[in-house]
Amino acid sequence: FTAVVAIKWLTDGEEEQPLQAVLVADSFNRRFFPISKDQPRALLPLANVAMIDYTLEFLTSTGVQETFVFCCWMSNKIKEHLLKSKWCRPTSPNVVRIITSDLYRSLGDVLRDVDAKALVRSDFILVYGDVVSNIDVTQALQEHRQRRKAEKNISVMTMIFKQSSPGHKSRCEEDDIIVAMDSKTKRVLHYQRTQGLKKLQFPMNIFHSVSDEFEIRYDLLDCHISICSPQVAELFTDNFDYQTRNDFVRGILVNEEILGNQIHLYVTMDGYGARVSNLLMYDAVSSDMVRRWIYPLTPEANFTDRKGQECTHSRHNVYRGAGVSLGHGSHMAENVLIGRDTSIGANCHISNSVIGSNCTIGDNVVLDRAYVWNGVHIASGAVIRQSVLCDGVKVKERVTLNRQCVLAYNVVVGPDISLPEGTVVSMHHPDEEDEEDEDEFLSDGADNSSNQAKTKLKAFSAAEVGAEGKGYIWRPVKQDDTEDDELVQCLWGETSSCITTGVYAVFQTEVLGTLQRGMEENISCDNLVLEINSLKYAYNITLKEVMQVLMRVVLEFPFQQQGPQLAAVQYCALLLRLLKKWAPVFRNYVKRAPDQMDCLESLEEFFLEHETHWGAMVKVLMELYQLDILEEELIMRWFSDGVTSAKSRQLRKNPGLLKFIQWLEEAEDESSEEDGQ
Amino acid sequence: MELQAVVMAAGGGSRMMDLTYSIPKPLLPIGNKPLIWYPLSLLERVGFEEVIVITTKEAQKEVQKLLLTETKLKPDIVCVQEDADMGTADALRHIQQKIKTDVLVVSCDLITDAALHEVVDLFRVHNATLSMLMSKAHEFTETVPGQKGKKKAGEQRDFVGVDDSGKRLLFMANEADLDEDLVIRKSIMRRHPRMHIKTGLVDAHLYCLKRSVIDFLAENKSISSIRGELVPCLVRKQFSKFSSLQKNKEEPNQNMKKKDNHIASADDDLLELALNRSCWNDHRGDMCGAYHGGKLRCYVHIMEEGMCYRVNTLAAYIEANRLASKLFEEPAIHPSAVISERSVVGSDSIIGTYCQIAEKASVKRSTIGASTTIKEKAKITNSIIMNGVTIEEGCNIQGSVICSHATICRGADIKYCLVGNSQRVEAEGDQRLP
Repeated sequence: FTAVVAIKWLTDGEEEQPLQAVLVADSFNRRFFPISKDQPRALLPLANVAMIDYTLEFLTSTGVQETFVFCCWMSNKIKEHLLKSKWCRPTSPNVVRIITSDLYRSLGDVLRDVDAKALVRSDFILVYGDVVSNIDVTQALQEHRQRRKAEKNISVMTMIFKQSSPGHKSRCEEDDIIVAMDSKTKRVLHYQRTQGLKKLQFPMNIFHSVSDEFEIRYDLLDCHISICSPQVAELFTDNFDYQTRNDFVRGILVNEEILGNQIHLYVTMDGYGARVSNLLMYDAVSSDMVRRWIYPLTPEANFTDRKGQECTHSRHNVYRGAGVSLGHGSHMAENVLIGRDTSIGANCHISNSVIGSNCTIGDNVVLDRAYVWNGVHIASGAVIRQSVLCDGVKVKERVTLNRQCVLAYNVVVGPDISLPEGTVVSMHHPDEEDEEDEDEFLSDGADNSSNQAKTKLKAFSAAEVGAEGKGYIWRPVKQDDTEDDELVQCLWGETSSCITTGVYAVFQTEVLGTLQRGMEENISCDNLVLEINSLKYAYNITLKEVMQVLMRVVLEFPFQQQGPQLAAVQYCALLLRLLKKWAPVFRNYVKRAPDQMDCLESLEEFFLEHETHWGAMVKVLMELYQLDILEEELIMRWFSDGVTSAKSRQLRKNPGLLKFIQWLEEAEDESSEEDGQ
Repeated sequence: MELQAVVMAAGGGSRMMDLTYSIPKPLLPIGNKPLIWYPLSLLERVGFEEVIVITTKEAQKEVQKLLLTETKLKPDIVCVQEDADMGTADALRHIQQKIKTDVLVVSCDLITDAALHEVVDLFRVHNATLSMLMSKAHEFTETVPGQKGKKKAGEQRDFVGVDDSGKRLLFMANEADLDEDLVIRKSIMRRHPRMHIKTGLVDAHLYCLKRSVIDFLAENKSISSIRGELVPCLVRKQFSKFSSLQKNKEEPNQNMKKKDNHIASADDDLLELALNRSCWNDHRGDMCGAYHGGKLRCYVHIMEEGMCYRVNTLAAYIEANRLASKLFEEPAIHPSAVISERSVVGSDSIIGTYCQIAEKASVKRSTIGASTTIKEKAKITNSIIMNGVTIEEGCNIQGSVICSHATICRGADIKYCLVGNSQRVEAEGDQRLP
């Protein structure tokens, strides 16, 4: 809820900076469990190429020259993959820098780290490691830059959408969004995920702008590609409650009036962009890839430039790698991609499928919409429909996989078994993690019965995976269920957080309004206190927060009145007048030592965001000290103890502040001397 | 006969009482024609031969005379009681017996050069239940007598939602009726994924309605106004049928459905067959049939340019007077007017019958009504002078409205004033912005 005026971006915006990108190679969720237990999502093969390669190819082809890849889950694997790839060759036009940390828990953490390390110099592209796209963002980037030039620092983000009508197969219910926008300026006014909603509600205040034409669009697919200004990272730092991009967008839109920041959108009609956010999307994007909708990213293009990835393209979109053997009477109907050294037996019928390298497929096998990864053995007589088979899977004779089955790494099923729709089999036991947790907490003498039960659980069930089968059925990870789980998670997580930020923001605006009115109508301080108190109860805000908000509002007040470009000297003069005027209000709220500490903290927080106005800070402290709002002891304590970041340390090295502290020390000495006399 | 025309001329003109307390609204002179002449001539121009005019007792005779002398339309004048507080929908219900086909309803205060066929074509092409005319709102530039400063723009805005083609009417609500949120059902968005919400529009109060809507009105007596209740109701009902289909087959629901089906423009079997066999579709993006199977369809034609005014406020009245001359081909100066050669009459002025304009008088950008006398050296700019007014020597009138039979005495200086019927403004009167 804080505005940041980053002056430095104003000055060097003129010169052309190399385009940077932040690639988040972690989804921070478990949608691909149990597959992603063995392999991070970004490395899962889509049409026989790791997903992160598509993202990097997209970034490179759109002109990105430096990409920061942030990894968390299984970062070593991603690192290893990237170091071997063409992106890390010295000739790569796109320099890839890998940043790993186990501490990232969300997109918010990543961007806060971007800010802390000051990685980005100008506008950058923010993208996930599972985005497949061929969109040329040059146009969007240009529009974004023009907007930022025309109105400095107003627009912080341009989101990229692809037009696709509802019900298009690359749209899944889960990611559906509704956007309200201003037709002329392309400003985003409202952004909401629509899953589970029957009625779409748009707050009236979004229609209060000068424009008289708005659009409500349900025909947009969020590509999860956004052009961000460096302010975005700073805003994430300022708002620790922003975890996802969704939080950020909603926060900016709700607090538009306070922060003055806006988000715009860019709609592409002919580009392709989609995020592989779940298996349905995996299915959709894979089949689009094979059907060449993502041209020039096609299977035979071999853009990753790896040995053994080459394949030939023949009619009906049939692609074959080197060394593919096809038995007598086998038929590849259409949209089939087969990797290197895969052998297919006789009388097979294969359609709309992707098969990896080094697979062996027996006779009389039927594959439709099957995604078979590398080194998979499918014995004769198997029938597989719309399923994913990970590396090393063995499917024995006469097995039938019905729709939406997932066989995770190294699972064996069969023979002579039919898996019902939506079965998920993994070598990891579903309760594995819980057990590990339990083990930590259970005392050594845990009863044997539970141990026995555990070993019993560990045995593979022949009824479920077949007589020779290896693997455990994962019940909760049926695709439909996970969607529900996601939904529940969303309901618990997001809505509550956005309500609290909303209330907080509203409270802040109310306090601002009250003070403004107080200023105009010359309301006495006692009445102001009364009004703020009633607001406090109305919005259920703690006293501490009231104080923080009050401090912040007063400090921002000159900016509100005169505009953010106010010079330090004028700002200082205006602020001191205000502080004098409202001293009784402060005295009412800042009484005890903790209050004063909070007050100082919010003061510091504010000035950390306004580096250019540090000169004013000393004057403010001085004034507050002389008005008996802050005691010298506490200022000293804050000065010595309150260091939280590198920047706040820097703040404390400000010469003016040091002088003031020195003066305080001397004054203290004098007073104590007087006492002594 | 495809459409029956109905002109609604029973309104009191409550938003411009200053003018309408002495003259019934349909008879207010605009460019020396009564207001109602404009919609009537619009209808005549596009080929209507008959018209039903709903008016009050008070205005009946005048309207009848006008219809006989000025137009070739065959009139059918229906009187309603002025004090009965009848809405436009009530009036339509009142003449239910006279309506045999689909209707075109026009308000008497519409002045437009719109191509009426655009609206009717939408009605025909889509076999619509309702099609209507809207226009971009105009800003009134002239200073309005009796109003200091600019008029507040604080009037409640209408939110009009149309689909991507800009024709299909999907949503309609007034700001006053919306609480904190504007709510749209997802099912509507699924069918029309790109909705344009426009706010700067004025409703021209010109509607094509299916015959079945009149029957619907007869059944639903609570609806009293076309614009306020009937139109929003029809717009909503476009999508309501589907949701009720999924619900249990309760009795009231079924009744509702019947009614919905009833007002829906029931495509006859042949038409339906044609639609099924044709590859034509009204939308793209999904594989559903045309109109998604909906039978009730509302359309709107939005005029991007051209003239479209509703004369329901003083400001609109003045603006309309200024622009009215563009609408008819008759000479601006009536041949029977006597104009001194040594007077100055601007070409942008309209002079009525039997006017007398004396020497050295000057008339610019003004409308002078019938039998008005303007004496020597009087100066009239930007004003509307109604019938039978006497303006004596040396008067200076600027930006004002002078009602019928008023007398402005010698040497009066009137700026931005409204002078009532048969008033007499004394010589020394130096009136400015009362």
